[in-house]
Amino acid sequence: MTHLDVELKRLKDEIVEMFELVTQQMKKSQLAFIGFDREIAREVNFNEKRVNALELKIDKDCENIFALFNPVAIDLRFVLAVLKINSNLERIGDIADGISRYVIGTGNPFDKELIDITRVNEMFVMAVQMLSDVQKAFDSEDTKIARGIFQKDDLLDEINENANSVIENYIRSHEGNISQSLHIISAIRKLERTGDQVKNVAEEIIFFLEAKVLKHVSEK
Amino acid sequence: MNKIETKNLNLYYGTFHALKGITMSVKANTVTALIGPSGCGKSTYLRLFNRMNDLIPGVKIEGDVLLDEKDIYNNKGMRIDELRKKVGMVFQKPNPFPKSIFENVAYGLRVNGMNHASFVEERVETSLKQAALWDEVKDKLKKSAFALSGGQQQRLCIARALAIEPSVLLMDEPASALDPISTAKIEDLIYELKNKYTIIIVTHNMQQAGRVSDKTAFFYLGDLIEYNDTNIIFTNPTDPKTQSYVTGRFG
Amino acid sequence: MSKNLKEKIAFWIFRILSLGVLLILFWILEFIFVRGWHMLSWDFLTKMPEDGMTKGGIYPAIIGTLYLVAGSMIVAFPLGVMAGIYIHEYTLDSFFKRFIKLMTNNLAGIPSIVFGLFGMALFVNTMKFGDSIIAGSLTLGLLALPVVIRVTEEALIAIDDSFRHGSYALGATKLQTVRKVILPMAMPNIITGLILSIGRVSGETAPILFTVAAYFLPKLPTSLFDQVMALPYHLYVISTSGTKVAESRDMAYGTALVLVLFVLILNLLANALRKYLGNKVKMN
Repeated sequence: MTHLDVELKRLKDEIVEMFELVTQQMKKSQLAFIGFDREIAREVNFNEKRVNALELKIDKDCENIFALFNPVAIDLRFVLAVLKINSNLERIGDIADGISRYVIGTGNPFDKELIDITRVNEMFVMAVQMLSDVQKAFDSEDTKIARGIFQKDDLLDEINENANSVIENYIRSHEGNISQSLHIISAIRKLERTGDQVKNVAEEIIFFLEAKVLKHVSEK
Repeated sequence: MNKIETKNLNLYYGTFHALKGITMSVKANTVTALIGPSGCGKSTYLRLFNRMNDLIPGVKIEGDVLLDEKDIYNNKGMRIDELRKKVGMVFQKPNPFPKSIFENVAYGLRVNGMNHASFVEERVETSLKQAALWDEVKDKLKKSAFALSGGQQQRLCIARALAIEPSVLLMDEPASALDPISTAKIEDLIYELKNKYTIIIVTHNMQQAGRVSDKTAFFYLGDLIEYNDTNIIFTNPTDPKTQSYVTGRFG
Repeated sequence: MSKNLKEKIAFWIFRILSLGVLLILFWILEFIFVRGWHMLSWDFLTKMPEDGMTKGGIYPAIIGTLYLVAGSMIVAFPLGVMAGIYIHEYTLDSFFKRFIKLMTNNLAGIPSIVFGLFGMALFVNTMKFGDSIIAGSLTLGLLALPVVIRVTEEALIAIDDSFRHGSYALGATKLQTVRKVILPMAMPNIITGLILSIGRVSGETAPILFTVAAYFLPKLPTSLFDQVMALPYHLYVISTSGTKVAESRDMAYGTALVLVLFVLILNLLANALRKYLGNKVKMN
């Protein structure tokens, strides 16, 4: 292996570590939110520092590779993709942290009925699934898996779109629970954005492997 | 402990002040690149460490030059040929002797009194393997060194230098006379050799410095302008002259 | 005048002049060959001269020339090569170097008869060798010396410094570098120069005049202190002051031809040896 290969491998290992860290954060925030577990929520807060530190390290490593090796072609696309994926993953980490803060900030567990009708748990499950899929796509350099992500995001969009009317109805019949309702709406929005971030990661992977740009294109 | 060090080193070619107060240290098992415009003292500085500057008449040196923390200039106990066994050199233009491939690599051993046949054979093979040339020449060791291509000749010169097992390797633009593929091979070689040797390489090719070195020293008009980790020199150098040079905006 | 026309005119002038030189060379050779060719025979080359040099052969002169050539080379070769090596490889001080070079050039310019007188004064008289092979070899050796020195120097200059530096960088001394790398590379050129200087030495008459040459010796030399006959001197004497000049004319031409052929063959040998050594150096 050349010096460059060694560095590229190291970068790949780091971003995989980032994937796993962020997926863990998302899973934990699901447990914290649905099971109303403050302990786990605090774990997520604590680990957010690790996520941020790793993001900075990966950024610096990408910068070094550009400066020292002037990569071209697929190597260049790889490092560019990693740079962007790094950013996307960091935001997902932020989202997990934000959701966990709701748990710490709320007094009581969320009303089970609210959780069921909003289908927020389904969103968590799908988000974690999408993360796992996109990591697989990256690891095995498989664009087919990457393309499958876009369809899965439709579910998240659908639940998000319905959320407003569902919550509206709920608030009419459960006047006291406005604060919880607002938290749930925020969580739903955040989870929808998670889907978007994962979609971006999938786009970067396809760009890296096929040099195809899928951004801002309506049909996917 | 520093492997190689200079303290306030000044060098004069007659009245010309070629190196101005250079203080710099190099740790063992690292690759250090010397970069800078032509004629700024890089090769002169390199040649200090195996005293090849002694061959040039009218050279005057002030200051300390240390190898393994021992002075190599003002030292009665230091013989030059002993020094050159510890500090090897590879030149810009490949310069194999008009001898066979085998005898080229064996030369350093023979002139230093190591003539035992099986020992020499073993060392030649080890060195050619270290220089990533063994597979290409193992069946034609008796053929003339001139029959090899430029890139192969340079690797032969590297094997020749490695045969006497120096601890430091000085390389003066080793790939500048070679085509890109041979250059890449030499760079990979340097990256591998770092595990066993301390390497100082003068290069005009900044990308090369980026690819192979751990630390980089920027020389300009005889001064050491900046000396730092290579990734810092190439992402965020301290001195504006360094930045001008690496971004190609010099002159 | 257009530049193309100038070019054509110049080309023809050069060509004609070169052909002119060749013509003169061939004319001289033809002159000798035509008059001397019929004299060449096995007898001519292997028999002693008879009947006042009008008949027989020039065997002793050939032998004498060979001895003198060998002797002079034994003197000039080691001395000249080592001096050349010293001047080029060891002297750094440029004043000293220039001084030696100046002296060498002066030595090369000294007329050969002066060498002869010097040789007579030093070797024949002072050192009491008498007229002898040893005196003649020493004198001829001195004559050839500056040529060998210069040839050695040129051969060494032609070798790029990168080979020397490569050797020094491996811890070799100057002596090791010269012996193992530089001298083998320089040898083809040095030997070529050597052979060419043999050609010159074999034709020198003046230096051997006072130091070794004899007109007629009934026996071949048996020791270094004997006199010998030599081709150039032999040619001189039988053409001008021998006992029967007119009748010896044929012998004279024959001798001249032998001398010319000797030099010609040496030149061809020089070429061949140079090619052979050139290849050998590359292989080892």
